[in-house]
Amino acid sequence: MTTTQATPAPAQPGSPAEPTMEVINVSRWYGNVVAVNDISFALGPGITGLLGPNGAGKSTLLHLLSGFLAPSNGRVEMFGETVWRNPELYRRFGLVPEREAVYPFLTGYEFVLLSARLHGVADPKAAATRAIHEVDLEDAQHRAAGGYSKGMKQRLKVAAAIVHDPPVLLLDEPFNGADPRQRLHLMGMLRRMSAEGRTILFSSHILEEVERLAENVLVIVSGRLAASGDFHEIRKLMIDRPHTFRLRSSDNRRLAAALIAEESVFGVELEGERLSIQTADFGKFALAAPRVAKNAGVTLLEFVPTDESLESVFSYLVGR
Amino acid sequence: MSQPSEQATGSIYDLGYRRYEGVRLGRRHAMAAIYLQGLKGAFGIGRRTSSKIIPIVLAIIVMVPAAIQLGLAALAPRDVAVIKPENYFGFVDIILALFCAAVAPELVGRDQRTRTLSLYFSRSLLRSDYAVAKFAALVTALLIVMLVPQVLLFGGSALASSDSWAYLQDNWRQVAPIVGSAVGIAVFMGSISLVIAAQTPRRAYATGGVLAFFVILRAVGGILTGTLSGDYRRYSVLMDPFIILRGLTTWIFRSAPEGVIADVHISGWFYLLAAVVVAGVSLALLYRRYQKVET
Amino acid sequence: MNTTIFVLTIRQLLGRRRAFLMAAFGLLPIGAAVIFRMSAPNVDAQRWTVVVLLNGLVVTTLLPLVALVFGTSAMGGEIEDGTAVYLLSKPVPRWQVVIAKLLAAWLATSLLVGLSTVISGIIAMNGAPQDGIVIGFAIAMMLGALVYTAIFVLLSIVTSRALIAGLIYVFFWESVVTSIFSGTKIFSVRQYTLGVARLISTASTNTFDSRLDGNEALWLMAAVSALAIVLAVRRLQRFEIGEST
Repeated sequence: MTTTQATPAPAQPGSPAEPTMEVINVSRWYGNVVAVNDISFALGPGITGLLGPNGAGKSTLLHLLSGFLAPSNGRVEMFGETVWRNPELYRRFGLVPEREAVYPFLTGYEFVLLSARLHGVADPKAAATRAIHEVDLEDAQHRAAGGYSKGMKQRLKVAAAIVHDPPVLLLDEPFNGADPRQRLHLMGMLRRMSAEGRTILFSSHILEEVERLAENVLVIVSGRLAASGDFHEIRKLMIDRPHTFRLRSSDNRRLAAALIAEESVFGVELEGERLSIQTADFGKFALAAPRVAKNAGVTLLEFVPTDESLESVFSYLVGR
Repeated sequence: MSQPSEQATGSIYDLGYRRYEGVRLGRRHAMAAIYLQGLKGAFGIGRRTSSKIIPIVLAIIVMVPAAIQLGLAALAPRDVAVIKPENYFGFVDIILALFCAAVAPELVGRDQRTRTLSLYFSRSLLRSDYAVAKFAALVTALLIVMLVPQVLLFGGSALASSDSWAYLQDNWRQVAPIVGSAVGIAVFMGSISLVIAAQTPRRAYATGGVLAFFVILRAVGGILTGTLSGDYRRYSVLMDPFIILRGLTTWIFRSAPEGVIADVHISGWFYLLAAVVVAGVSLALLYRRYQKVET
Repeated sequence: MNTTIFVLTIRQLLGRRRAFLMAAFGLLPIGAAVIFRMSAPNVDAQRWTVVVLLNGLVVTTLLPLVALVFGTSAMGGEIEDGTAVYLLSKPVPRWQVVIAKLLAAWLATSLLVGLSTVISGIIAMNGAPQDGIVIGFAIAMMLGALVYTAIFVLLSIVTSRALIAGLIYVFFWESVVTSIFSGTKIFSVRQYTLGVARLISTASTNTFDSRLDGNEALWLMAAVSALAIVLAVRRLQRFEIGEST
């Protein structure tokens, strides 16, 4: 293991003192297949992205969190209460499931109204109207939901999930198949809700979305929690992976020769117009490079850390 | 597209993508593959245990009358034959209908649900090939279910009788009618079940539809023969698919008609005609159904 | 019982195609009665009605099949296509969900079968002494519908192959097994129904072919329905979304 912690602890640095959701040593197996393997984490207000390749256990974890799967081991708690077999808890969170199917014979409005009524909301009709407005489905609300496009169905599901104004929202692959405009709209909505203090957890296998939206990331690979927290911090913790920088300068070859003498550098590669530097120490190199360049009489034109993205973090984690 | 420039024209040193240069097995192999897959799927082979339960249980139930007869033959002092090859069908007709109702949707439902039909038909496989292969699979499955008990019955009776060899000599002529009637029943029930199941991807509707066909027509036939009289009554018997099959079996075995078949006393050819017409229409409709699939 | 779910289920069950089909189904006994009236003046109307029409057609075929269709689709439809999540991710106790669904399926079945029984019975028996036959059967049908739908709702929660399992129960167990092994009559809803019909009507009992005493039948109906409901609630409380869709 390359992270500084040997096993994931129940409370990560930065996790709230009184978490909204807590998962403690949870495992779930089906016969011989372990879908979720000893996962622990705690979440509070804000947006968290659950990231993992397909089949890693994201949906399983979400089903465990939403009371639609019983853990084989461990505890899944929300607001301090066990989620399994606790329908009352649904008053306080909303679930946007992955499957596309909705009641085809209901109109969009009726579907959200149904959700409002079943939640026991004080004024179901007003709540439904509000929720429909929030997801921008007003034009289509009186059409049968069976005829909605995929994106519209997605928005409808979100409307049904927020109609009772829950402090927690769980979304299973919400951006699956959404066009850019819908994605932007949904992201904006989630950010707004997060700013109001809600706890939002969404799953995705698309790195860009998680990178853009999530303040906090849970990376799950083959049923295990591979990393959690802010991904820049995660990257810094991976000390056995070299950081890669891309440089362009007035004289690459001279710069390369000068840099290889640096203690923090252990790899230099000339790639056409650019210089690719492998370094073990991110911070040290960032400070040393301009100095070295100046001493060598070379002007730095471009200086880019190349594997700071979530993608590289992710690929390192998956590749382990 | 390409511009006239100094840049070299590109080449793909693509070591990953290769064209397939080998032998392409043709239609017949495709048909055989669909047939085998259908036959295995009918009994749940290659799928989860829960898909095996219902067909296997029903197949076992079909064997029960044979077991009972063998038990009787073993215990009774003289040769007593209550359940014979010619009336076997009458004991298990509804079970076979249940088997069809369970299996036909498994054969043709999945391809409709996952919309793989367009994929299939964009290959060398003809639509008629697909229908024929599926039909053959269902008929084979039904033959297995019907003939295993018959084999048990025949072999068991031979062993149980005082002189096995004599029994065989007396009864070997039964083999052809046994097989013939089983084929007729399988073709009839198979064609009807398949064409009904092919109409809908939803398993519940397909199962219900197949069974409803047999059950409702039997009920209606029963009502009509119970209430009509004269010639109307005689031919109303042909409404009931089970009666058609029983009449057909009686005719093939040239055995003494029982029950309502003896009552109405119409020529055996009518049963044959009715069976052929129904099976033919079903197969034609099945063919048409797959012709409509767009690629 | 939850009114919203009840109304939703009624709307689901009576959606166009299914309602048409079931209505056509319900017309069969009526059609048979009409044919009977028009063509068989010599047959004893009472006997025919009991044996052929009500016992033979309605109790044996119409009642269980309609109950099967409505009972398995009340909850099973949503479980199969994935919309059960929307119903179950709400602060509604699971027993309320089950009861609402059951009542909807029962209402739909009773209405259809009851009307069919009454109308066809009246047509067929026109003139013959009533002896409470039609009333007896109508009430028995409605009670039998409750037991059937309770069992089938339970089946549809427990397995995805509820329909074929229910069909095997009706057409193998109730038709074949209970007629051969008379001890199994206590496990046959058909026998319960016939027993209650016999209890209510005053016609001579030998036309009924029922093997259970009327009071026994009522007790058994109550017990089996209660058991089915309890089991259904328990199972729904432990509803899990499977590994893959």
